Amino acid sequence: MRGALRRSAAVLFAAILAGCGNDPYPLEDSLEKILYQPFDDPPKTLDPQVAYSVVDHQVIGYVYDTLLGYHYLKRPFTLIPGMAETVPEAIGLSDGRVAYRFRLRPDLWFHEDPAFEKFSPGTRTRTVEASDVAFSLLRVADPAVVSPVIEALGKISGLVDFGKRLDERRRADPEFAALRIDEQYRRAGPVDGVRVLGPLELEIVLDDAYPQILYWFAMPFTSPVPWEAIAAYDGVDGRESFAEHPVGSGPFVLSRYDKRSRIVLERNDRWYGVLHPEWKAPAATYPSEGAPGDAEAGLLDPDYVGRPLPFLSRIEFRREKEPIPTFTKFLQGYYDASGVVKESFDRVIQKGELSPEMRGLGITLAKSVEPAISYLGFNMDDAIVGASGGERSEKLRQAMSLAIDSKEFLRLFANGRGLPAQTPIPPGIFGYDAGYQNPFRQPDLDLAKKLLAEAGWADGIDPTTGRPLRLTFDVGDTGAAAMLQFGFYTSRWRRIGLDVEIAATSYNQFQDKVRRGAYQIFTWGWVADYPDPENFLFLLWTPMSRTKSGGPNTANFSNPRYDALFEQMKAMTDTPERLAIIHEMRSILEQERPWIENFYPERYALYHGWVRNEKPAGLSIPTAKYLDIDAELRALRRAEWNVPITWPAWALAAILVVVIVPGVVTFLRERQ
Amino acid sequence: MLAYLVRRLAGGAVTIVGVLLFLFVLFFLVATPEDVARKAVGEKAPPEVLEQWIAAHGYDKPRFWNPDDPADTMLAEHFRRMLTFDFGSSDADDVPISKRLREGAGPSLALSVPLFVLGLLIGIPLALLVAFFRETYIDRVGLVISVLLMSVSALLYIIGGQYVLGKLLRWFPISGFDPSPEVLPRFLALPLLVGLVAGLGGGIRFDRTVFVEETSKDYVRTARAKGAGEARIMLRHVLRNGLIPILTNVVLQIPFLFTGSILLESFFGIPGLGSITVDAIQANDFATLRTMVFIGSLLFVLGQILTDVSYTLADPRVRLE
Amino acid sequence: MEAHVVSNLIVAALVFGAAGLAVAIRRNRLWSEALRELARRRPIALAVVALFVVVALLESVRWRSEPEGPEAGDTVSRFEARSVVDRMFPHDFREKSYSAPLAEVEFYGGAPLAHPRSHLLGTDILGRDVLHQTLKGARVALLVGGLTSLIVIPLALFFGVTAGYFGRRIDDAFFLVSSTLMAIPGLLLLIAIIMALGRGPVQVCVALGITSWVGFARVARGESLKIRELDYVQAARALGVSEPRIIVRHVIPNLMHLVIITFVLLFSGLVLSEATLSWLGIGIDGSWGQMIDQARDELSRDPIVWWNLVAASSALFSLVLAVNLVGDAARDVLDPRTMKEHR
Repeated sequence: MRGALRRSAAVLFAAILAGCGNDPYPLEDSLEKILYQPFDDPPKTLDPQVAYSVVDHQVIGYVYDTLLGYHYLKRPFTLIPGMAETVPEAIGLSDGRVAYRFRLRPDLWFHEDPAFEKFSPGTRTRTVEASDVAFSLLRVADPAVVSPVIEALGKISGLVDFGKRLDERRRADPEFAALRIDEQYRRAGPVDGVRVLGPLELEIVLDDAYPQILYWFAMPFTSPVPWEAIAAYDGVDGRESFAEHPVGSGPFVLSRYDKRSRIVLERNDRWYGVLHPEWKAPAATYPSEGAPGDAEAGLLDPDYVGRPLPFLSRIEFRREKEPIPTFTKFLQGYYDASGVVKESFDRVIQKGELSPEMRGLGITLAKSVEPAISYLGFNMDDAIVGASGGERSEKLRQAMSLAIDSKEFLRLFANGRGLPAQTPIPPGIFGYDAGYQNPFRQPDLDLAKKLLAEAGWADGIDPTTGRPLRLTFDVGDTGAAAMLQFGFYTSRWRRIGLDVEIAATSYNQFQDKVRRGAYQIFTWGWVADYPDPENFLFLLWTPMSRTKSGGPNTANFSNPRYDALFEQMKAMTDTPERLAIIHEMRSILEQERPWIENFYPERYALYHGWVRNEKPAGLSIPTAKYLDIDAELRALRRAEWNVPITWPAWALAAILVVVIVPGVVTFLRERQ
Repeated sequence: MLAYLVRRLAGGAVTIVGVLLFLFVLFFLVATPEDVARKAVGEKAPPEVLEQWIAAHGYDKPRFWNPDDPADTMLAEHFRRMLTFDFGSSDADDVPISKRLREGAGPSLALSVPLFVLGLLIGIPLALLVAFFRETYIDRVGLVISVLLMSVSALLYIIGGQYVLGKLLRWFPISGFDPSPEVLPRFLALPLLVGLVAGLGGGIRFDRTVFVEETSKDYVRTARAKGAGEARIMLRHVLRNGLIPILTNVVLQIPFLFTGSILLESFFGIPGLGSITVDAIQANDFATLRTMVFIGSLLFVLGQILTDVSYTLADPRVRLE
Repeated sequence: MEAHVVSNLIVAALVFGAAGLAVAIRRNRLWSEALRELARRRPIALAVVALFVVVALLESVRWRSEPEGPEAGDTVSRFEARSVVDRMFPHDFREKSYSAPLAEVEFYGGAPLAHPRSHLLGTDILGRDVLHQTLKGARVALLVGGLTSLIVIPLALFFGVTAGYFGRRIDDAFFLVSSTLMAIPGLLLLIAIIMALGRGPVQVCVALGITSWVGFARVARGESLKIRELDYVQAARALGVSEPRIIVRHVIPNLMHLVIITFVLLFSGLVLSEATLSWLGIGIDGSWGQMIDQARDELSRDPIVWWNLVAASSALFSLVLAVNLVGDAARDVLDPRTMKEHR
């Protein structure tokens, strides 16, 4: 009875609101369990083997399902089985290679799509099999697909060669190139490291030990895709392209894709979690255990524990280009979650907690340090700041590192969100040490000046010119806000007497400078692909050097000892020995300073009171299937918060009348 | 007449060729394919992927001259594609550009047509009113207000409108777009209002000058001498004759209704052609950008020819040069 | 030669040029009367424009000198050239972050300020004095308007007059180039050129110049077409006066009023365009447009930070308004008819 009363009150309010005012959504949606989220840049592609940006994964993560997944609540991140029945163990083969055997769940279905009808009339969907996963892995190797992760997945035996074979045959034989895609793969195959052992059994063989491979099976790059969709949506002759028309097997179906304004996902009733709640599959059931503090935070609510996912009926993404309107709409109740915009920070957060105003609105705050790092780097190939300058340049880098006060930077530009970084490895990743203090990352201008004097630049004066040492800080952003931040760094260096000039160009021209090796100091960031230190420490590994091989080691750092340690560390499991090696690598970086580790970003997420089970992840993994919405509460709040203020309209009208009428009257009198 | 038409069309064609050459210099000579590719495949992709992308998008062809096949160069390809309206697909996400144009035209027109019509319906009467009261304080105040309105940066109108009307008073959604007719007017109200106010000053000033000019002509003096009322003169003679130059000016703007307003669409999140253009700039999507420039120019040239031709048809005094 | 010396020389050249122009105007009865009439009609607007010009000149003259005390400033700024405007403010006139106008404590957090009650217009996020920034912006605005006009007017005059005067092939070529440039949507053309040329004050001015010379060139062409047919020009030609001489002696002087009017009207448009470019991230460092863009998001801070936006936009507004008013008056005084025919 009370529920019905509340419901009708909510409908009434919503109706009043729709007539006049600022509700951006149609009335009939107001009581649905719909999650409203803003997005900024439109997704580039929805091809799971290609997409590599956060926005892309926000959509793909729901449309495509993965063999493995991450536990929603546990930290550090723990793998759980997804479409696979278990997380496979490494099997050592007699020839020294390593194998992993996946067993798929039965009764997994692709989303309904006309593409299936094209090849077997009368069917609109079919089951997912091991061969579909194998097909996806081959796609990663296919040069025509242009997948960015072939580097990592190329560790699967024979996969890279398969790509080469495929390319050669396509070039040599136009008839081959015209064949249907699955037929091409079959003829260019088989691949030694991708073995389909049965309809639901798949074995992956790696040349060398690479335990991180499992993380790739929790990412959409390895999601099964039906070959029918690839064949049907080839983007030729007016047909749609697969990048815009996904066919997956995930918990949500893409029902509308106006990627410049609106993306809609509807719940998939053929998802295994919905078809088989009795399986209690880990990735389709609300978890019963979590990290310390989760129970207190209400994340283990007995109303939800053990219930089948998902709870939402729809997810709506709306495009928002400007942060301020987005946040305002959040405060008006039209978005369910939001980050904290820098500019509104003081209104929202006070002394590290939610402000009373926000708490009064029923908003909750979740903080999480992201597995990412922002750093300032030196080009180690440069004559002045680089390795060839020997000890002198090392002291210069140390001095410059000592001058940067990351805490002050975060206070000014991120409202104190984020942790000053000490090493390349952020919190939440094995090897992070909260107690470690990097001696060159504790701001100390006096020590910096002393080091600079020892290096031969006393007071920053370059003895050859008699002027302050001039360096350039190469940046690829010319926006006003970014310039303010770059100005912060140069003003800090200026304090020790260095004249660092900002060379701001477009992102392209910056990239070009980097390609040519014509840069001195730069700033960059890295977000974890998966939670393993290897994914951060390889950023300074010699084979990844930017200028030589185009890899992500933009500092061009090269140290034989570091490289040897890296080789040793990368395939190890998280043991104390691994930690010891990481510590030794850390001390090399500490002394050499190819980077000034700046900060680990911290995310403050705000949720309205009607959102349940929210826990930020940091990694770009799909979490909305765990969320629930109290739509009636939302409708009531929206109505309450959005009463328009009309008096200024009347006031304006009155002023116009007061100004115009006497004017016209006098004029007419004069005319006569 | 036919000779004139042919001459005009030939001139237009030459202009289009000029635009295409200009685009080629800018987007194929000044900007390199690597720039585009890097942005398209993303930061983390290795260099082989970059090269694959370049090859897949045909950016590895010779620029001007290919000894094996003279027709297989980037210059030839550029002209062929543009002139046959086969714009290919976007550099950023491989969506066919023609599809994007179709998607963007609706939202652009939904904003620009009402803006255009309302601008005329409000601007012309106001200008006539000011001209009617010429040489009085209403005229002077009106002119000063027009200049005031013109002197404010368009950015400020948008920021102010969103802040006061959207955020403080909650009259309209701050931004957004939804084509369903139920909610569309709500989204269009604020950008329309802002666009109208921003354009009003310049419009009134131009139209007023035309009307005042008209009032000093002989036939108006004759009419006045005959004892016609001032209001009647304004409505019957001045308005009618003044509308000709005003409308010519206006007709020239019609082609640009399709390309939309870059500023308004971007700030208010309207997914029209203007915001597609800004997206293309930010994503280094040169394929889309040059298509937009080409289409804008094409529409402009066509509009101009149409205006000139209809003008000569309507007014026999205009001699055919 | 160092940048500030070059800029000082340019300022000197400009001042001399202006002085020479003033003398020339005084000698010419027509022009000096027109100027007097202008001053009578728009005294305040002219004064405002003059004020901005003075500030911009003061900001453009820079030289190096030792800072006052040993503690003032750091090594780098000891070697930096500072302008007269910079010297009107203390050397270390900075706070850590926001300060409201004339406040005693920091805006957020309430820490005591280094210079309480002395920031007339407050400070920005980096603690820089907003009044100081705003005054510096005047130079950028005049640079955008002035330098671009200096590019546009000779270019437009040259092409417009040759096309109009000689006609035929030259006119056809002119028509082709000008209609190509006119056909390309203005803002897109601007963006494309800046993307190609790179970012920087001169590049922005050149791009603005390329996009805006056509309109004036067409007016100049139309006028020289008419002037060519005038009796005395025909007579001069019949007497065997050389063509360049006719152009310099008869055609261009008859276009001078158009030059002045165009200059003034172009100027305000250019300053406004720069603001739009700043929003796209390709404006000029230190311009008012950039200040507005930086301050845009501050409106939703709570309590609201308004002084930044207000300072920059009122400076922009008053300059553009004053120039527009002067331009209107100049048009009425110098030439009530020609301009309208071509607009």
